[in-house]
Amino acid sequence: MLIEIKELKKSYSLGESEIPVIHGIDLNIEKNEYVAIMGPSGSGKSTLMNILGCLDTASSGHYYLNNIDVSTLDDDALSLTRNREIGFIFQNFNLLPRLNAIQNVELPLIYTGIPAVERRERALKSLERVGLSDRLYHKPSELSGGQRQRVAIARALVTNPGILLADEPTGALDSKTGIEIMRLFEELHKEGNTIILITHEQEIADYAHRNIYLKDGMIHSDKLNQRIRMC
Amino acid sequence: MQYGENIRLALQGLVDHKFRSFLTMLGIIFGVASVITMLSIGEGAKREAIAKYQDLGVNNIIVREKSLSDEELEEVRARFSQGLSIQDAHVIQEIVPGVERIASQAEKSTEVRYDDKSVKSTIIGITPDFLGLMNYKVQQGNFISEKHYNERLKVCVLGAGVAATFFKGEDPIGKLVKIDDQWLEVIGVLASKSLFTETVGELAARDLNRDVYVPLSLFLNRFTRDNILSSEIQQITVQINNSDRLIEASRIIDEILKRHHFNNDDYSIVIPYELLKQEEKERQIYNILLGAIAAISLLVGGIGIMNIMLATVMERTREIGIRRSVGARKIDIMSQFVTESVAISITGGLIGVLIGIMLSLVVTLFTDITTFIKPYSVFIAFSFSVIVGVSFGYLPAKNAANLKPVDSIRYE
Repeated sequence: MLIEIKELKKSYSLGESEIPVIHGIDLNIEKNEYVAIMGPSGSGKSTLMNILGCLDTASSGHYYLNNIDVSTLDDDALSLTRNREIGFIFQNFNLLPRLNAIQNVELPLIYTGIPAVERRERALKSLERVGLSDRLYHKPSELSGGQRQRVAIARALVTNPGILLADEPTGALDSKTGIEIMRLFEELHKEGNTIILITHEQEIADYAHRNIYLKDGMIHSDKLNQRIRMC
Repeated sequence: MQYGENIRLALQGLVDHKFRSFLTMLGIIFGVASVITMLSIGEGAKREAIAKYQDLGVNNIIVREKSLSDEELEEVRARFSQGLSIQDAHVIQEIVPGVERIASQAEKSTEVRYDDKSVKSTIIGITPDFLGLMNYKVQQGNFISEKHYNERLKVCVLGAGVAATFFKGEDPIGKLVKIDDQWLEVIGVLASKSLFTETVGELAARDLNRDVYVPLSLFLNRFTRDNILSSEIQQITVQINNSDRLIEASRIIDEILKRHHFNNDDYSIVIPYELLKQEEKERQIYNILLGAIAAISLLVGGIGIMNIMLATVMERTREIGIRRSVGARKIDIMSQFVTESVAISITGGLIGVLIGIMLSLVVTLFTDITTFIKPYSVFIAFSFSVIVGVSFGYLPAKNAANLKPVDSIRYE
């Protein structure tokens, strides 16, 4: 099992009072699944994504990633886990504006401690994979939205992570570019990647093979997608 | 994370924000420049003082006739003191332990003539040990010898200034110069000496290059004194073989002279080495003060860096979040920001070193203050700027590292 979540709860303290956001979730995700997590705002899907991505830790319960209980890890180990196991793709791309495309893609490998030459090779391969080998030295400001998201995907792929974690990846893109990105995800899934997609759009969720619907911090429904939409 | 990457990033940051970086550095630049300039001025003063006292001989005790008014002189003589005498020198040599050499000198101001030229000069009658006592060097010919002294030969050695006035392109050796009504043969010329610009005790400031030296025996025999009550000699210079015993020896000398001069206070004792030590002590207080001022400016510079770094961390919260999300540990973020502030302070430090060196040169060029830049002062100033960078970069860097990734990644 790639991901195993048991009785996971998360609450934030606001002054004296505790605001529960996730009330208790049990969830298993296998390797090479393509999952969409959906829900209205306030349903706890962003919080769940932060926990899945090891950016945040649960208040109680257990999150096993590759059979390791993440809730017991310290900050350095969490950083290492993010570096090795998680590839983030954000709605607003989150590229470093002062770095060009290839430098942005290299970034995770710097923290892995890969030597410069190998770093460059792998970043190059990753950018080729997303079809951007002609935009290596462009800064994010010189790229279109779709291209920026491709750079972000290349950055997520460059460490060969266990999970690609995409938070509203098409949210800032027009529908045509959005479809191109979804096509890329489909290919990546076919190549064996595990993809977890956070979205509030049913249309986007339709591309995934499994749809989990969150409501009020609990799993409302969890079913396989009967009519997978193809690009 | 590789350290080279941090340095590259930090330098990139400096270049990307040139003006801001420069403003941040200003404090460090001024601090380092002032440290170097102040230390160089202090060192220059020290070297000048050492040179001055070396001229007087660091192992010497100088006994000098006090300059007294005519009335005072009459009074002293009436109380049986004959003033400084060769006899005094003999007694000192015999009684005081550790006397290496001793020289007596008599002085008189008068004109020296050669050809149709004349120079106002101080004629100094000396015993042959004189040259060994002082750090004087003979440039040409010889100095007055035992033979000259014993046989009262009519010879003289000219100061560099006198020789230069009289003999332009001529060989001075063997020429005859006229002092009062005496004709003396020039046997040597001294090397040029630095001006004695400060009065030390009873040793008045004067241009040593205008002195003319003759055997003391000849001086006492042939030259008339301006004042009939004048002492036989004006100065006794005593060289002691151990500088630790200077004070002890001077005390003994004082005891001897007190007795021989019937408790008349008509002489004074100068110990150049003690004066040097005292002056050094005074200068040390001054140096500490200067150092404190420089330290304050470095401190202010450091606070400037901290201020900007704190603002930078705020501004770059998002960047920190991104780096954390792709796997940067706290220590990676921390070292990135510390490296950045160190890069600022090192660059500022280097610029400060350059400006400090230039300022020292400017001070030397446009004022009569001597400066000397010791390599260690450059090293100290520079290492201080690095320390400032690390210590004032630490807090902002720690703030940066402690930002929660989940919050900073969504920071707008």
